[in-house]
Amino acid sequence: MFHRILIANRGEVALRIIRTCKEMGIETVAVFSEADRNASYLHLADERICIGEAPPAESYLNIPRIIAAAEIADVEAIHPGYGFLAENAHFAEVCRDCKIAFIGPSVESMRALGDKIKAKEFARAAKVPTTPSSDGAVETVEEAVTTAGRIGYPVAVKAAGGGGGRGIRFAHNEATLRSCFKQARTEAEISFGDGRLYMEKCLENFRHVEVQLLGDMSGKVLHLGERECTVQRRRQKLIEESPAPNMPAGLRDEICNSAVRLAKEVGYHSAGTVEFIMDEDLNFYFMEVNTRIQVEHPVTEMILGQDIVKWQLRVAAGERIDMEQSDIVPRGWSIECRINAEDPAHGFRPSPGRVEAFVAPGGLGVRWDSHVYQGYAIPSCYDSLVGKLIVHRPSRGEAIATCRRALEEFVIYPTRTTIPLCRDILAHPKFQAGQWDTTYVEREMLKV
Amino acid sequence: MASKAPKKTVAARKAAAPAKTPVIDDVKHLVKLMIEHDLVEVSVADGGRSIALKRGSSSQPAGGALSAGAAQTGSAAPAADKVEEPAELLVEVKSPMVGTLYTAASPDSDPYVAVGSYVDENTVVCIVEAMKVMNEVRAEVSGVITEICVKNAQPVEYGQVLFRVRPA
Repeated sequence: MFHRILIANRGEVALRIIRTCKEMGIETVAVFSEADRNASYLHLADERICIGEAPPAESYLNIPRIIAAAEIADVEAIHPGYGFLAENAHFAEVCRDCKIAFIGPSVESMRALGDKIKAKEFARAAKVPTTPSSDGAVETVEEAVTTAGRIGYPVAVKAAGGGGGRGIRFAHNEATLRSCFKQARTEAEISFGDGRLYMEKCLENFRHVEVQLLGDMSGKVLHLGERECTVQRRRQKLIEESPAPNMPAGLRDEICNSAVRLAKEVGYHSAGTVEFIMDEDLNFYFMEVNTRIQVEHPVTEMILGQDIVKWQLRVAAGERIDMEQSDIVPRGWSIECRINAEDPAHGFRPSPGRVEAFVAPGGLGVRWDSHVYQGYAIPSCYDSLVGKLIVHRPSRGEAIATCRRALEEFVIYPTRTTIPLCRDILAHPKFQAGQWDTTYVEREMLKV
Repeated sequence: MASKAPKKTVAARKAAAPAKTPVIDDVKHLVKLMIEHDLVEVSVADGGRSIALKRGSSSQPAGGALSAGAAQTGSAAPAADKVEEPAELLVEVKSPMVGTLYTAASPDSDPYVAVGSYVDENTVVCIVEAMKVMNEVRAEVSGVITEICVKNAQPVEYGQVLFRVRPA
């Protein structure tokens, strides 16, 4: 097992990783930018190294500075967290070249799955259902129109180098397709450095269901169950839960097993998540693979009593997964609310700045993962996540009740947060029924 | 046996209670205003009642102002490397990167600078090495070195103070 690792991230996930490392007796080195200099979670790390100014390009995305910090701190491994460099295959490669273990999958599987066109090919090879799509990259507008004729409108034009809900445009007819195609290419080039586009048939009104995977370097792959992440706003998740409601047992097994097949096809190890979309008839289709730990991993941890960060460290250190699929038995129900420093009353504009008063909820079944505390100044240059409220109770109804109760206990002043929106969503009959799609929040609650 | 009257919910009981403004509500409101407008002292008189509130200095962030640089640098520079100067007149030369600091171009060379050395904007004052690449650090100020804050082969972080210069 590693003796010392560097955490190439900040905020909530950096604290998450520090916590597990402390329990495992692994020393932690936390890097930080000038904007995070006074964050108190840094003092829980064994060492702290300032790597640059606030902008991510000069700090958390700056590979030479992170590697330099890893070298002077003499660490054996780097955990990239989520976001920033977590899915950057080049960064993983640099770590490998510098003889520093990258706590994540192999460079090759990151490259393969980061290319969304290749990822679909792997899915097809693993007999995972995929939506009708283009035959690889679409070069010209005419090819796009022909493809749309074959697969049927509406279509999604997606960047091969995209992911996480970014780099997607929709066209309901030929005219729109013609007008957005060139723009989509330019945007892809600028945002991802890769102008390749592919097309998929759009499903209207679908659910988002994903499967947590865990693989080791011997090729063993297990699934840790599914999560429902349909409650979203603009393709960003707001509330997640596990298990997924309204999911027949046979279908759950089918989805989870298909994710495992895909991981084996790619030779995937470490933690990862396969995302699917599901239509009203419970047909599911492959969407993408996230080759990192996800924000919502705690709901899986709660129903299984497992520490996913610990598994990542063990796998990266070369250990075998010493449990079988039959040992993975979920208990109870878990729901997570992401709390962001955004003002729902004013178009979700960010609400950075000092948190003057802060009280977090507690009590039976409540877990609060956050780096924020009273007196903390939320920087304006990073994501707006304040923290994650996770509840775990024996049934879905009880989990919803505990979540609503816990949300009421929060005191966060004067920061504006999405807590009121979470409360409204949990009180809404559609949430209670678990009958929904990824746009219902915007359509029926935010009236956008 | 007569049946018990149904218990009222807290909300119902509150609605039924006669309206009044307890002192604690006024205090809470005043405290909120004081924080909002960063007031230190407020006193309010209203008929027969008066409230006076005094607020301490603004609380520091719970993380404190602990410089992580202090955690990194290790022991302070020995007295011989320092010339006493009023702090306001000195310019700090800070590390532009993370890495290992070397005070000379090679193990056999003399150090780039010493206390008392004259420097200008382009004078190389030290090297910071990262990933096997040697990066020259320039003074970016004209003046005289008054303090050397680091030792040869010491790890340095971004923004760490390396030298102090009395500007010319």
